Amino acid sequence: MDFLLTSEQDEIVSSVNTFLGTELPHARRRELLAEGAVVDDDLWRKCGSLGWFGLGLGEAVGGVGYGLTEEALLFREIGRHLAPGPYLATVLAARVASGPQQSAILDGSVQVALVAMQRADVGADRVEGSALVYDHRVADLGLIVNPGGAALVELARFSETTPAPSIDPSISVATALAEGLQPVAYVSGADDPIFVRGAVLVAAMASGTAEATRDLSAAHARSRVQFGKPIGVHQAVKHACTDMAVRAEAAAMQTFVAAMTLDNDRLDAAFQASAAKVVATDAALENARAAIQVHGGLGFTWEHDSHLHMKRAHLLDHMLGSRREHLATLIDLPPAQ
Amino acid sequence: MDLDLPPDLVDFRDEVRTWLDEHAPKEPRPRKSQAVREFDAAWQHTQWEGGWAGINWPVEYGGRGLSLLQQMVWYEEYARLGFSGIDCFFVALQHAGPTLIVRGDKAQKSAHLPLILRGDEVWAQGFSEPNAGSDLGSLQTWAEVDGDELVVTGQKVWTSFADIADMQELLVRTNREAPKHKGITWVICDMHSPGIEIRPIATIDGDAHFAEVFYDEVRIPLSNVVGDIDDGWSVAMSTLSFERGTAFTASQVRLNETVEQLITLARERPGPDGRRPAIHDEELARRLATARAEVAALRSMTYAGISRNSRQEMPGPEGSILKLFYAELGQRVYRLAVDLLGPELVCLGVTTGITDWQHDYLGSYAFSIAGGTSEIMKNIIGERVLGLPR
Repeated sequence: MDFLLTSEQDEIVSSVNTFLGTELPHARRRELLAEGAVVDDDLWRKCGSLGWFGLGLGEAVGGVGYGLTEEALLFREIGRHLAPGPYLATVLAARVASGPQQSAILDGSVQVALVAMQRADVGADRVEGSALVYDHRVADLGLIVNPGGAALVELARFSETTPAPSIDPSISVATALAEGLQPVAYVSGADDPIFVRGAVLVAAMASGTAEATRDLSAAHARSRVQFGKPIGVHQAVKHACTDMAVRAEAAAMQTFVAAMTLDNDRLDAAFQASAAKVVATDAALENARAAIQVHGGLGFTWEHDSHLHMKRAHLLDHMLGSRREHLATLIDLPPAQ
Repeated sequence: MDLDLPPDLVDFRDEVRTWLDEHAPKEPRPRKSQAVREFDAAWQHTQWEGGWAGINWPVEYGGRGLSLLQQMVWYEEYARLGFSGIDCFFVALQHAGPTLIVRGDKAQKSAHLPLILRGDEVWAQGFSEPNAGSDLGSLQTWAEVDGDELVVTGQKVWTSFADIADMQELLVRTNREAPKHKGITWVICDMHSPGIEIRPIATIDGDAHFAEVFYDEVRIPLSNVVGDIDDGWSVAMSTLSFERGTAFTASQVRLNETVEQLITLARERPGPDGRRPAIHDEELARRLATARAEVAALRSMTYAGISRNSRQEMPGPEGSILKLFYAELGQRVYRLAVDLLGPELVCLGVTTGITDWQHDYLGSYAFSIAGGTSEIMKNIIGERVLGLPR
């Protein structure tokens, strides 16, 4: 039993970190935001060629052959760097699609949007109801993920697609309607717990975001001088940063345990995933709130990243099951193993 | 990363479980001090007879010398039976004993270590003073060398189990000229010595676990000094390398059991509307579910901490993150118990199994004070983990 990263896993983290740091520095992310394009298609294909979209898929179908644990490591960095783009639905869709469609998703020539459907009828043959589509501007396909199963659909087949004012400027959102829509592929939750995997990956992004705001705040508290002293000497500021460190640690550890639990085919995988989703999104939101406060006026500016972390955290809180749904799951399930 | 216990540890778990099932006391632990001592001593003696005394002590000193993972398994099983691992032998087994092992001389070791393991010698800690709490280094209890004795005069406070202890690990000032951490001496003090007066302090849960201890020219042989005169601070810190976070496993398992008990109670008892079970109350259900999620995170952090500690020489400041998270979560859980059990807990008291909820709720106020206040933990994390200025 060992809960620390192996040297191979450490290497995954550092290579992803270097890549995102080089390709998506603050200035480049801001450029993309200003253009409203959000996702850079060249960058997307590079991610595909690095194997990011099939990290947890078997090598026989064109994946890399790692597990959810390694995918969670990747997604923590995606969250940390505020990388824009439909990474989540694309990675999950690669498990639903097959043949040429799967290859196109894996190599980065097709992007998949996350589609949230409430009070809807989602099955292998038919999708019916009103939808919320994340990243609708960049994606070709959509993925609906429920505990019961995951359905891959063509975005063009939705009607009444109406852009909505998403709180996160780097994730576009639209409302849409599905009327008797036929999925192009479907995998039931019993065959592959894609909803549980997705919840863990959202938790991983949230944990990355919580670590990023912790680090931004600590750096500011060390360097910002007032009354002749760095503001971090004051306990009101120091303890705010400390609380962020505690929340970030809880989020990261629970997320990795949830990922390992699923990789080990344990019976409490859904329990651990819901716990991770709840703890990590709470950490992301609370840390972002604290980061804005610790940065003072700077924290309230568009230029500073704190608000982007806060806005991203709000969307993560709703993706792959809301807090309320995961809490309901947690109370219904038998206790953890 | 690897979630599974290796096969030899699975066998070890079975061995521990079987032994504990057969030997652990079944009756609840008493509250009053002398009865506590008798109960804890009998249980410690049973563990010694079974070869389970001093699980983290090296074999050459009579301990079991278990690996970190074996210790973790032991504490998990131990806690499942309702033991927190924090009884009147805690200081002897986790602190004084390890200090003697690392820094004591041969005579000191042979005089005390076997007695501790057998359950025949209870130790108390004599560190905190009225003016030296979080700032322990400014302690003032004075000890003067007189021939081959130290003569101690002063006062300690918050000394747990002082009234039933035989020995005390006592920190005294032996040099007022040196910088504050360089003038302290660590000495073994016989609690039955003339000149010691113990005044128990009643705590908010009605028990008197700790005491004020007054020293009026108490004479202690110089041969009881551990390490050198004026070098007591480093002696006190030497046990830190012993504390690897495995004993904390018991606290984490206990809190998990507490949350599970609350969920069971919420299914059985009527909720705020007086009709449906409490679990159907939306607010209570949400808070119970959140507690479950956070206890899961506590467990993940505990195991990660043990993995980390098995790779480094000295445990790092990350342990403070765990302690802080536990203290705040534990208090939220007991506050939830109050809201769930309602006026019954507050006015009548509720006991389920060996759990007295009112008593345990009151005890939870100590979580953020004992063993370093949460404020001090936050300073440690801020300064040593995040690199914030002092």
